[in-house]
Amino acid sequence: MNRALITRIVGSLALGLIVLSVLMSFMGYEIPTALVWADLFSALGFFAYYTYSQRMGAYVLKRLVEAGVTLFVIATLTFALLRVIPGGPFDEEKALPPEVKASIEAKYNLDKPLYLQYGIYMVNLLKGDLGESYKYLGRPVSQMIVETLPASFQLGVFALLICYIIGIPSGLIAASRHNTWVDNVTMVGAISGVALPSFVVAAVLILLFSFHWQILPAALWDGPTYYLLPMIALGTRPAAVIARLTRASVLEVIHSDYIRTAKAKGLSQKNILFKHVLKNSLIPVLTFSGPLISGLLTGSFIIEFMFAIPGMGKHLIQSVTNRDYPLILGMTLLYSAILVLANLIVDLLYSYFDPRINLSK
Amino acid sequence: MVLNNLMEGLVAYDLTSENLDLVPALALSWESNENASEWTFKLRKDVKWSDGVAFTAQHAADGLFRLIDPKTAAKYAYFVYGIKNAKPFSTGELKDVSQVGINVIDDYTIKITLEKPMSFFPQLLTHVPTFPVRLDVIEKYGDTWTEAKNIVTLGPYKLKVWDHDKAIVLEQNKTYFGSPAKTPFILGYIINETTTARNMFDLGRLDAQMDLPANELGILRERKEFDEQPILGIFYFGFNTKKPPMDNLNVRKAISMAIDKNEIVKMLGGGQIPLNGWVPKGMMGYDENMGLKLNVEQANALLDQAGYKDRSKFPRITLSFNTNDNHKRLAENVQAQLKKNLGIQVDLKNEEWKVYLDSLRTDPPHIFRLGWLADIPDPDNFMNFLLSDSDNNHTNWGNQRFDKLVIEAASVTDQEKRLEMYEEAQRILVEKDIPVMPIYTMVENMMVHQRVKNFPTNAISQLKFKNLEITN
Repeated sequence: MNRALITRIVGSLALGLIVLSVLMSFMGYEIPTALVWADLFSALGFFAYYTYSQRMGAYVLKRLVEAGVTLFVIATLTFALLRVIPGGPFDEEKALPPEVKASIEAKYNLDKPLYLQYGIYMVNLLKGDLGESYKYLGRPVSQMIVETLPASFQLGVFALLICYIIGIPSGLIAASRHNTWVDNVTMVGAISGVALPSFVVAAVLILLFSFHWQILPAALWDGPTYYLLPMIALGTRPAAVIARLTRASVLEVIHSDYIRTAKAKGLSQKNILFKHVLKNSLIPVLTFSGPLISGLLTGSFIIEFMFAIPGMGKHLIQSVTNRDYPLILGMTLLYSAILVLANLIVDLLYSYFDPRINLSK
Repeated sequence: MVLNNLMEGLVAYDLTSENLDLVPALALSWESNENASEWTFKLRKDVKWSDGVAFTAQHAADGLFRLIDPKTAAKYAYFVYGIKNAKPFSTGELKDVSQVGINVIDDYTIKITLEKPMSFFPQLLTHVPTFPVRLDVIEKYGDTWTEAKNIVTLGPYKLKVWDHDKAIVLEQNKTYFGSPAKTPFILGYIINETTTARNMFDLGRLDAQMDLPANELGILRERKEFDEQPILGIFYFGFNTKKPPMDNLNVRKAISMAIDKNEIVKMLGGGQIPLNGWVPKGMMGYDENMGLKLNVEQANALLDQAGYKDRSKFPRITLSFNTNDNHKRLAENVQAQLKKNLGIQVDLKNEEWKVYLDSLRTDPPHIFRLGWLADIPDPDNFMNFLLSDSDNNHTNWGNQRFDKLVIEAASVTDQEKRLEMYEEAQRILVEKDIPVMPIYTMVENMMVHQRVKNFPTNAISQLKFKNLEITN
């Protein structure tokens, strides 16, 4: 069978499953564990097959090794930086008596020489043990991530949907009606969107939808009606950026030679726009998506705070204030891992969207 | 907060009394020997844990032993260092448990022997870390013994749900030994943003909110749901008495007398009560006539005397605070007042909380802000952290007479005598040596819906929901 066709089938399957999960999650249903695994395996399967069929195995392997090294360096740097900044986890307003502090530090191995602490940490890390929070007694960092990541992840995915569903079509429409009032209105909207910080959008949304019209809740995270305001607040700005990127990129592609050829062949405007222009215009959007995805998925702490969403944004910020070493390290590593992975996926998708980019060499 | 509803101590505060008198809780009665160095508690016999096990003196002893066990490494271990041999046991120097002054006499009697007399010892047992525990439950579940499905309690409420980072649900405990809680369920949300909580309160999703947005106090104060409660806590500035020119007593006095505290609390708008003495309003030993009063003329004269008649010769000094909007507003106010009233220039410096604490420990600035909240409603709590060898005294100041008074007062059983000693000690702090400049007694602001009756407000901030009622 045709390799491109298999790729397309597997990709569609993965995409379908993920869309199904997102929809279920948005409707307030709990996603069955089996579906989560199916999402994971189909997506992995897609990338594995794609990698294999494009002979990019060596490239992906290289990137994965690099990712491992990156994470190792980040873990080491974070560990070192935490020991350099003033103030320790057990410095409090009411200073603890030295003997009490000593026994607490002994409990967490903080009394050992630095190289030993580092060694213990790294060995545990390799075993997948992120340690226990200093602040939230008895709660392993991994458990805290498992508890708070889903809410952040949900918020991020929903906000991403807003970005793509609104951003890409707006950009496309604006470009195809270049220099008309449609273009102008869309771009004024987009520039306003870029200029507005999410917390301002959130405040306005709460004022209108929760207080004035009283149709949506102002806070908490208990179902579809609760999701709407935070996802719009978080998604508006990147959606505006994507609209502008798409527009610029579409305009550039429209004037390229192969589009002129397509026009000369007599293809319809619609056909040209969706089949030839759009796919190639998405490259800048894709580039922007790497950091965007990792940023949105790990949570926007401002939006999480404003809507009292039980995500990991709080821990990302407060762990630093508390000098909660294991939690800071856990959060940093998770964030880095998602960023590295998102960038790898984006790079793989480059070559899918634009065959001129060949990663196998 | 939650634990105060799930558990009980041997004794408790009568939260309705003005002086927070002690009343029986798990203990029916208690008595000490003549010099208050040995305390015997007779316990109730009708108390059952939520799993049906009868409460005994061993559980009370276990709670204290676990607190000082080096394996627990509890922050509050020092809280009971007054108990005989508790300190060496907690540091691991002493291994023999039997030498620690905690003795179970029989199932319902526990005797505690102290290192030295301490007249306020029973008050310590109102504090959550000293509460009885069930070691069998802790051993069985390890670190997860506090989860809703594992925890075993004996207070007016049970822990129904603890959804970490999200919400807590308390359910009335039907087997509670006292009069049952009046509201069957209490739901608490964990909300980090005060504005968000206020939104939810306004939309009817919350019946009460404890922490209000500081910049909205002026408006919220006008509403009928607004309530405030002075608490046993103070906000103060410390002087680094070794750093010139703060080593000059007249300079410290001049600064203390040039600041209008009324203006500060008016600006903050939280109902704080200006404080010139050292212990907060509402605590034994509080005297509104104590301390230095605002007197700009005399303040200027003192600064002249200190050798700074020419104000341009006065070195620039730094006032530090930890990063926080309210602290910033307050610091700017003090800066402006000192400029206006004394003609001196103060530089402001803010640091992130832990960095700030580190600075205070290593190199305290000329003037620094700090607060102190009472663990127990006793003046000792506010005095002993300024002893010359205290880790919480960042002023580099020490006074032998002050140390002697404070250390001795803790053992004195005659309350009149104690009061006199604390008065003298306070005068050393705020009238004679001035290592510190008190600003105000703290006040807790809250919004409580009209339909909520008996919302538990009290000076020691113990949120006990037992008597809370919802009316329609």
